[in-house]
Amino acid sequence: MTEAVRRPGRDPALWATVLVLWALLGLFVLFPLARLSWLAFFEGGRLSLDHVWSILGDPNHRQAFANSVLLAALVGAGGTALGFLFAYTAARAGLGRGWLAALDATTLLPLVSPPFTTAIAMIFSFGPRGLITYHLLGLKGATAYGLPSTLFAETLTYFPIAYLTLRPILAAIDPNVEDMAFSLGSSRWRVFRTVTLPLAVPGFANAFLLLFAASLADFATPLILAGNSFPVLPTQAYLQVTGLLDFKGGAVLSFALLVPAAAIYFLQRYWVGRGAYVTVTGKAGPATLIKSVAPWARWLLLAACAAVAVVIAYLYALLLYASVVMAFGANHALTWRHYHVIFTEGLKAIHDTLIIAGIGMPLGGLFGVLVGYLVARRRFPGRRAMEMVSMINYALPGTIVGIAYLIAFNDPPLALTGTALIIIACYVFRYSPTGIRATVALLQQIDPSIEEASQGLGARSGLTFRRVTLPLIVPAFFAGLGVVFIRSMTAISATIFLVSINWTLITVRILENMTELSLGPAAAFSVLVVAIVFAVMAGISWALRRLETGGGLRVTSILGG
Amino acid sequence: MADSRPVAIRLEGVSKRFDHGIKGEVYAVRGVSLIVRPGELLTLLGPSGCGKTTTLRMIAGFQEPDAGRVWIGAQDVTRLMANQRNIGFVFQSYALFPHLTVFENVAYGLRVQRHADAEIAHAVGEVLDLVGLAGYDRQMPHQLSGGEQQRVALARAIVIRPRVLLFDEPLSNLDARLRVQMRGEIQRLQKALGITAVYVTHDQEEAMAISDRIAVMHQGVIVQEGSAETLYHRPASEFVAQFIGRTNLLRGRVTAAAGAGIEVEVHGQKLRAAGGASGFAVGASVTLVLRPESIAISAGGRGLSGTVVSRTFLGEKVEYQVRVGGETLQVTDYGAGGSRVLAPGETVTLEVPSTGVWILEGGA
Repeated sequence: MTEAVRRPGRDPALWATVLVLWALLGLFVLFPLARLSWLAFFEGGRLSLDHVWSILGDPNHRQAFANSVLLAALVGAGGTALGFLFAYTAARAGLGRGWLAALDATTLLPLVSPPFTTAIAMIFSFGPRGLITYHLLGLKGATAYGLPSTLFAETLTYFPIAYLTLRPILAAIDPNVEDMAFSLGSSRWRVFRTVTLPLAVPGFANAFLLLFAASLADFATPLILAGNSFPVLPTQAYLQVTGLLDFKGGAVLSFALLVPAAAIYFLQRYWVGRGAYVTVTGKAGPATLIKSVAPWARWLLLAACAAVAVVIAYLYALLLYASVVMAFGANHALTWRHYHVIFTEGLKAIHDTLIIAGIGMPLGGLFGVLVGYLVARRRFPGRRAMEMVSMINYALPGTIVGIAYLIAFNDPPLALTGTALIIIACYVFRYSPTGIRATVALLQQIDPSIEEASQGLGARSGLTFRRVTLPLIVPAFFAGLGVVFIRSMTAISATIFLVSINWTLITVRILENMTELSLGPAAAFSVLVVAIVFAVMAGISWALRRLETGGGLRVTSILGG
Repeated sequence: MADSRPVAIRLEGVSKRFDHGIKGEVYAVRGVSLIVRPGELLTLLGPSGCGKTTTLRMIAGFQEPDAGRVWIGAQDVTRLMANQRNIGFVFQSYALFPHLTVFENVAYGLRVQRHADAEIAHAVGEVLDLVGLAGYDRQMPHQLSGGEQQRVALARAIVIRPRVLLFDEPLSNLDARLRVQMRGEIQRLQKALGITAVYVTHDQEEAMAISDRIAVMHQGVIVQEGSAETLYHRPASEFVAQFIGRTNLLRGRVTAAAGAGIEVEVHGQKLRAAGGASGFAVGASVTLVLRPESIAISAGGRGLSGTVVSRTFLGEKVEYQVRVGGETLQVTDYGAGGSRVLAPGETVTLEVPSTGVWILEGGA
């Protein structure tokens, strides 16, 4: 019954905002994608798939496609299993606050680091001069490249997504349902098998899909770890564009990424949609003593989680160590040399990255809040379309977005290639959807009559937004700009196509260092990024805590995706 | 009806459709016409989904009618947005600004109108005094009790000296005792300030207590308008009779319509009624409205005879269910302790004075 606002016809501020947002979305989301499709599927103004077939006919590319799908499926399965282990332990092992905090911290680290930190640490651990392969096992000429290491690194990097997806689902299962099964005479294992697992099925499907998509789109980890013997699509597309300057081929290869992702998506919809698993309705019973995990099983779960946590801690410690020794694997004398290098030779990258992240952060935050507010609260033609279009760049693999931007903004009057603007635009439109969703979620908790009250007291829509709505969605604003900043510091898959001599990024420098085998500076850069990100995260959660004292509205997590 | 008395709010054939997901377009409000006089408190009363809140929101400007016109005073405000209507609205949820202090909540409308700070401080202080919240200026809304939040909402609505004051079920979130107290205060304030008010509620007792006039709504239309007494004693339809107060409905047939009142035959027994919703011809099927408290119950005497089904002692009154013919009647006895206990199974006589019977057209 709530129809917050009437037609926009008599609200010029709304009209103007909607038009500006559409213009931006058109320019930075739809236009690049249209240019990319045009390049990939049209020849001389006519639809032509010749080029598509010739690119896909290349056995190398077909191999890359198969490898990508195989890797994504394995990462999806492995990451979901690992995520379930953590989620089940958190939800059912009856842990104290300290243990839960430790679990959360373990999963946070890979989530906010640049996506390839694990990969770099893998080299330090298992490479030719790796701590384990060379120093412990004494293997000569060990290779860290290929499917196993890529799989291992990606699983560790992305399993926290599965954890975050599965934990609320497990926590939402009413313990009384499990109690009921016990009272009917089931054993613990039987309860787990016949009650808990089936109820978690939608979560499994969802987690698998998210991990599958993340792995499919991951560019940095394979670039470092996959090696020549295990090509995957994003790296092939990158080489096609930057190595062979074949934009058309790169476009076709990046589109090929979409095929398996879409297939899995529809499969999941079909599978989960068919068995209508309505998990919990009504009031969950009082939290009873959890009996579903036997004491020995509890210790087993804890031990397994601890083992994973130790592996993650070990990899990050290795990274830190490598950044403060002369040459990891050869000369372990302590030194600040690498930090000196990154703050002299690498200073430009740090400088550029901070400027780009610093400019993109408020813009992305504002964009997220504006779109979220309009989509959640106002009625105007094309509202749902705006919601969907604003999510496109977020949903697409970074490789596609990067190549699309490169192609779209190469010619006048939109020759943005080589400028900071193109990188900032890429980040804003790719990472503000977190802010959009946070805003929508927050607004759904806020009674629309609060805004009507302002309107009834004589305030115009712009004034109502400024004086009432904006202060109430400030938490979402902070969450949104936090994510934009963090991703601006850590992302690479799209922006590697957009950097130039004028504007470069820390993440790109890390990759360059890795290929030049200057591992020390790469490690130092990585440590710096992780440190900055953690400092900013701490600042934002502090700000969010301060803001929460008021109305009791909260943004659950700033790491929605 | 030509009437030259001044008008504060006028609705003319106002309709509002909603897009119902399953049923398609449904009317929430259908052709409602209504006049509210200056200084009057009119209540829109009806069950949930009857269109009363939608009607109120169209007066406020939060929703725009699909058809019809809305006037406030002499101004046609149909196409005017809420922020240009100068209305005071009290929401069911209070809708206080959670990030502003009590003072700033109340001051909000004045700040929008760009009054001077000193003027605002004075006006807010005065109105907080008026609602009994002096000294609460710096509190945040979540620190207040439900009743206090309600007062802030009220203060915020009246401080801008609105042309009309609109209430959307303002008391439904309060407990029963506070509800009675607050409705008294709302009425006192409204009368003291002389502001025209429209009040929406589904609680008939609240409506009767607070209103100068009540408009009963059902399925998007106003089914009857009048004072509480009129609605109670002279309902226009079975719906109104049943919605307001407890009631017995009996089917009967008019046997005589001349002289003093109308004679109706019910289950083979004769009853006299002083009046009805229209004139009735002999032989017409009618429905009789009998309020439980207007029936006198006794062990013997003249009248309808029946059998006691149940007896419930409630302190100041005793409620009986009495079987008469094929029907069970509710009878309330305020016998002041003097009347005899009539046990279930006993045969009793029900006497109904003709002034306690109201006749409605039709009846199966």
